[in-house]
Amino acid sequence: MSIVKNARLLAARGARLAQNRSYSDEMKLTFAAANKTFYDAAVVRQIDVPSFSGSFGILAKHVPTLAVLKPGVVQVLENDGKLIKFFVSSGSVTVNDDSSVQVLAEEAHNVEDIDVNEARQLLAKYQSQLSSAGDDKAKAQAAIAVEVAEALVKAAE
Amino acid sequence: MTAWRAAGITYIQYSNIAARVLREALRTELRVDAAKRDASHVKFTPWANGRPAHEKA
Repeated sequence: MSIVKNARLLAARGARLAQNRSYSDEMKLTFAAANKTFYDAAVVRQIDVPSFSGSFGILAKHVPTLAVLKPGVVQVLENDGKLIKFFVSSGSVTVNDDSSVQVLAEEAHNVEDIDVNEARQLLAKYQSQLSSAGDDKAKAQAAIAVEVAEALVKAAE
Repeated sequence: MTAWRAAGITYIQYSNIAARVLREALRTELRVDAAKRDASHVKFTPWANGRPAHEKA
């Protein structure tokens, strides 16, 4: 299912529940990482996040949700219609009853700040590390790095 | 269960690896500063009778 379709479905569900819940028409986003605060309770139109339970879009009146972030691109559609893309390493996303959303990442950067060639080199480096890894743990660690590098290349291209 | 979880890696460790790889892929001018976040430092000072017994870095 596409992200947009998914978001619409969830938003419709939220609208039905709004009668007996204190939902707000505005969505306030707080998006921060250890390196930078990107939004501090800023009103935005839509947020798309990659999570272990699938990628999903968040609009105002979304059902309250907790999800664990997967390495990938977070898209923020600001109120003036500007779409901004960020790459997040990992972290959590919280959607609250009052339509406030917190995206907390360990590391996050504008997609433009990723060096595509560097990402490609990293992918090759970790792929060879994966094939030469001895035990299960080293293999799993290299596989995580490969997964992140793949997502980075995809996001930066 | 994901493969890394089965291998005994926690989400915190997963997150650490993911953050490190992201830092490594940044444009050169940002990478130097970002690399400083790779390591974290903890300083322990044991206290005895209301004063620091000795300092250990």
